[in-house]
Amino acid sequence: MNTIKKYVFYCIINVRHAHSWKAHDVAMASVVKREKMASVSEMYDVGWEEMRDKLRKWREDNCRNSEQIVDVGEELISEHASKLGDDIWIIYEQVMIAALDCSRDDLALTCLQELRKQFPDSHRVKRLSGMRLEALERYDEANKHYDAILQDDPTNTAARKRKISILKAQGKGTEAIRELNEYLEQFVGDQEAWHELSELYINEHDYGKAAFCLEELMMTNPHNHLYCEQYAEVKYTQGGLENLELSRKYFAQALRLNNRNMRALFGLYMVSTSVRSMSQSVQQTG
Amino acid sequence: MPIQLTSQAYCKMVLHAAKYPHCAVNGLLVAEKTKEKKKDSHGEPVLCVDCVPLFHGTLALAPMLEVALTLIDTWCKENSYVIAGYYQANERTKDSRPNQVAEKVAARISENFSDAAIVMLDNSRLTMSCFEPIVLIYDHHENKWKSREVTFDCFEDWSEAQKITSALLEGRSYENLIDFDNHLDDLRNDWTNPVINKSVLDLC
Repeated sequence: MNTIKKYVFYCIINVRHAHSWKAHDVAMASVVKREKMASVSEMYDVGWEEMRDKLRKWREDNCRNSEQIVDVGEELISEHASKLGDDIWIIYEQVMIAALDCSRDDLALTCLQELRKQFPDSHRVKRLSGMRLEALERYDEANKHYDAILQDDPTNTAARKRKISILKAQGKGTEAIRELNEYLEQFVGDQEAWHELSELYINEHDYGKAAFCLEELMMTNPHNHLYCEQYAEVKYTQGGLENLELSRKYFAQALRLNNRNMRALFGLYMVSTSVRSMSQSVQQTG
Repeated sequence: MPIQLTSQAYCKMVLHAAKYPHCAVNGLLVAEKTKEKKKDSHGEPVLCVDCVPLFHGTLALAPMLEVALTLIDTWCKENSYVIAGYYQANERTKDSRPNQVAEKVAARISENFSDAAIVMLDNSRLTMSCFEPIVLIYDHHENKWKSREVTFDCFEDWSEAQKITSALLEGRSYENLIDFDNHLDDLRNDWTNPVINKSVLDLC
């Protein structure tokens, strides 16, 4: 059972990380410590091809297991760079973003510099520079980077999403919602964006609008049990007999699509109990 | 009655926050149920012996929260525990105030346990070495949640808690921490975390 994963949206500085202490502290000490630790290939008895394949799987699944990516990716880059061929560029990108998550600015900068050398005028690399600035909380400079990209290419969705992520990271929930709504007027089919918007609305406790976003997702993905189940949860949270009955329908639908969805099963039980007690009390007073 | 945290409770809270650095996380604190209600028991601290990590990511949806509260309540009754508090770590590093979700859950807990407390984790001070406690404790006074000064008295044994938490963070034990969300993904995952509990005991 997998969760709905998003990639381009995630906020970098939202990350609270114990290791951020390590990075800001004496850099030499942590470098020395790393050299003494066993390498990933020794610990798990894997070759460089398995490590490369693992990284590819994590890329495809959009996993945010940044510590693991840094461990595997750093070793792959430092010891097997020549064997990777053209794969190395996408691995640099993946490891760079994971390094930002783990406050490893040293590693992030190394990857970024390699990418800049290879792709000097690339918007994609410029966006990565912006993400690094976000991680360093230099939001104004990051915004300038993204504005420059958008001036050059107004249809660049990645830069727009990063700007929205900055608003989210700064705690400006309502502005992020407004910008994201504007974005969706232009790019109506962007499912990641609809899902992000539903989450922003849930955090603002605006369940009605969150439900609307999930309805859009269900229309375009009728077989996705996760959207049905999330919609049912939002309806349940809204409360009231009508919403609870809708909630029950969608928990049931989610179960029909995937009968191992435990949340849908529990949800169906909870909502059925609530509806029954609600209609009983209506009957008694009615 | 102020609350006090054992090493196990504190450690698992911090591990939960460390496991999902990019998400908000929350959970419940449980205390042992005292059989007699002593008349002069006001002022005696309530010892939270354990915590149950609940969710990560979107915390503001009701159904799974209600399922969790029901199941954990049953587990508590079987083990003579009572749900005594609620902890939360917000998504953003600089944000450590209790929000609407925290207040709602705490209000629910207060229906069964009059001195429920909210424990917020201060994300900005989370480090590997845990030199200082990173919790903020809020008590309910006159319809508002007010923060209380956190001293080493808020812990059963702070130096032990510090040592154990730091060791488990270094050893990345948080990768094996199970929260209720993990349990819902795969029912075999045990949210009572016997493995982590054993590691904590071994380090005591």
